Amino acid sequence: MISIKNLKAGIEDNLILKGINLEVKAGEVHAIMGPNGSGKSTLACVIAGKEDYQVQEGTIDFEGEDLLELSPEERAHIGVFLSFQYPVEIPGISVSNFIKTSINERRKAKELDPIPAPELLKMMREKMELLNIKKGYLSRNMNEGFSGGEKKRNEIFQMAMLEPKLAILDETDSGLDIDTLRIVANGVNKIKTKDNAIIVITHYQRLLDYIVPDFVHVLHNGRIIKSGSKELAHELEEKGYDWITKEADKKWA
Amino acid sequence: MGLIENIKSFSIIENLSAEKNGLFQSFLANGFPTIKQEDWKYTSLKKIVANDFSVEGNGVTVSEEDIKKYSLGLQHKIVFCGGNLISKPSIDGVSISAFSEFESQNKDAISVLNSSLAKKGFTIKIAKNTVVENPIEILFFTSTKQDNFVQYRNNIDVGENSQIKFVERIQNLSDSKCFVNHFTQINIRKNAKVEYNKIQDNNENAILIDNMNLYQQQDSSVIVNTLIFGGAFTRNNLNFEQNGSNCDSNMNGISILDNNQFADNHTFMDHKQPHCRSNEMYKGIYLGDSKGVFNGKIMVRPDAQKIDAFQSNNNLLLSENATIDSKPQLEIYADDVKCSHGCTIGQLDDDALFYMRSRGIREKEAKAVLTYAFASEAVNNFTIAEVKKLAQKRIAEKLHVDLDFNL
Ligand SMILES: Nc1ncnc2c1ncn2[C@@H]1O[C@H](COP(=O)(O)OP(=O)(O)O)[C@@H](O)[C@H]1O
Ligand SMILES: [Mg+2]
Repeated sequence: MISIKNLKAGIEDNLILKGINLEVKAGEVHAIMGPNGSGKSTLACVIAGKEDYQVQEGTIDFEGEDLLELSPEERAHIGVFLSFQYPVEIPGISVSNFIKTSINERRKAKELDPIPAPELLKMMREKMELLNIKKGYLSRNMNEGFSGGEKKRNEIFQMAMLEPKLAILDETDSGLDIDTLRIVANGVNKIKTKDNAIIVITHYQRLLDYIVPDFVHVLHNGRIIKSGSKELAHELEEKGYDWITKEADKKWA
Repeated sequence: MGLIENIKSFSIIENLSAEKNGLFQSFLANGFPTIKQEDWKYTSLKKIVANDFSVEGNGVTVSEEDIKKYSLGLQHKIVFCGGNLISKPSIDGVSISAFSEFESQNKDAISVLNSSLAKKGFTIKIAKNTVVENPIEILFFTSTKQDNFVQYRNNIDVGENSQIKFVERIQNLSDSKCFVNHFTQINIRKNAKVEYNKIQDNNENAILIDNMNLYQQQDSSVIVNTLIFGGAFTRNNLNFEQNGSNCDSNMNGISILDNNQFADNHTFMDHKQPHCRSNEMYKGIYLGDSKGVFNGKIMVRPDAQKIDAFQSNNNLLLSENATIDSKPQLEIYADDVKCSHGCTIGQLDDDALFYMRSRGIREKEAKAVLTYAFASEAVNNFTIAEVKKLAQKRIAEKLHVDLDFNL
């Protein structure tokens, strides 16, 4: 589905991603773990098309398309979705209006008519149930005054509504209590099919008990320094990152 | 010839009374205000008054289609054509007639010019205990072949315990310039409620100076909404005076300007009595080479204890060439009051923009949604659904997007 080759990107003179290689196929779940500041969010943002980051080398192929040539909205239209580590508050626009606009904008790009209101409402109701979201929430302003947990749930609600091919969940688990974590993870698992793929960015093994990865990668200092199966996540939980980061630091020194 | 000379010639034909002539001479003594005056520092009339305007030209009649096109389709309509009252509704307890004389306290040149020469406009009297459910639309049409200067002078008296809403629009139907000096005075008696909406969406040849005085008695409540979408040059002077306790004064403004449009909102909130409230919110959106001015003054006089006054002016500059000059002024002579103001000038938030684009909302549309979100706090205060809808439609049009901001 997505194939990232030798991706180098940064801000101005500061190279943050120093040659990332990653291949994710339809139906797979990949976890990316790593210490703070290793470049996880940067990778997520570069895939989603944030223009603050300059790509200096490398390619990203998404189902045969050169992703780096597309605007963020075009990437969304072909099925890329990023659940933000820090979702943005947008006062003055309700959750329902925001989601309606996103859906209709994508439909417009595909030359489809706007979604009929009853269909939209039905879909919203289903997905809200899936994520145990209360009714009044739709008329609240987008993320405004939301708790950390509410913001993250709102991200997954949008994911459920937009049905992306590739979802990148950037620390969706941080700030969630265990009950909410379970609800959110269950929601993600229900959205998961053999035709879509998920990249889960997390610090903790905890989320991976619920969203079980096929592959685990460790990102450190802008490079994937180790990849393995889900057992690797357990190992990291027990031993921390030092044992592999030190080795990597020696190698790249 | 410039405007002053043409006005002089006009005044001679008018055969002014001694009193009016006195007023007119005091206008002539200094002429139109210049940027040397503090209140007109950012607002130059120089180029405008150099035009060879005819004065009080009548122009052609207005068609049913024009009325339909520029009306919000409300049930009650007052229609003026070239300053003549051509139709009015009949509503129990409401008397509507053409201009009749009244005095005003304003000493500024523009107001004095209006009080000395204006003879067109409306007089509306609302009897006490009259609740008018449906808003009244007031439409002023002008259409002259040559550039034209007109003055309207309007007076509204709202009786005790009465309630009424107005939506006003001044529309130039010709390609010639039209300069309107508009003056409206409203008396709001005890426990009355008034809402006045100004739809300033005239064509690109329109110049407007709009002065409104509102005199409130105790327990009364007033909302004035100013929506500026059109016109080449707009100057609003909005003056509230609270003459009794427990008054509410509300001002909501939304401007969205592009090209070379210019708009200046001057407000004056005069708190003279205790236990009153005022709430003022102006939102400005500036595109192209447009220019905005905001000057909001809150005066709290010694007797105005326990008042609550709030003012905000938020501006969004969406182009490098657009400018805004914003000046809040507080003058407080009472000690037990709550008074606050805030002014912001900013751009759209890049993080919010990326967030929206990552959800598939195209850049132009994302900007428009964020811009509407910025304005919505004021737009949501519009109580008449048709006014709110118009604002949403015009904001979308001015941002060149086909989006429905209403869900
Ligand atoms: N917008 C930015 N401007 C400057 N530096 C940035 C920016 N984004 C990320 N960085 C830097 O890049 C590095 C990686 O950050 P980030 O991708 O957020 O890491 P992670 O998500 O793994 O914690 C950090 O050193 C951070 O300071
Ligand atoms: Mg991060």
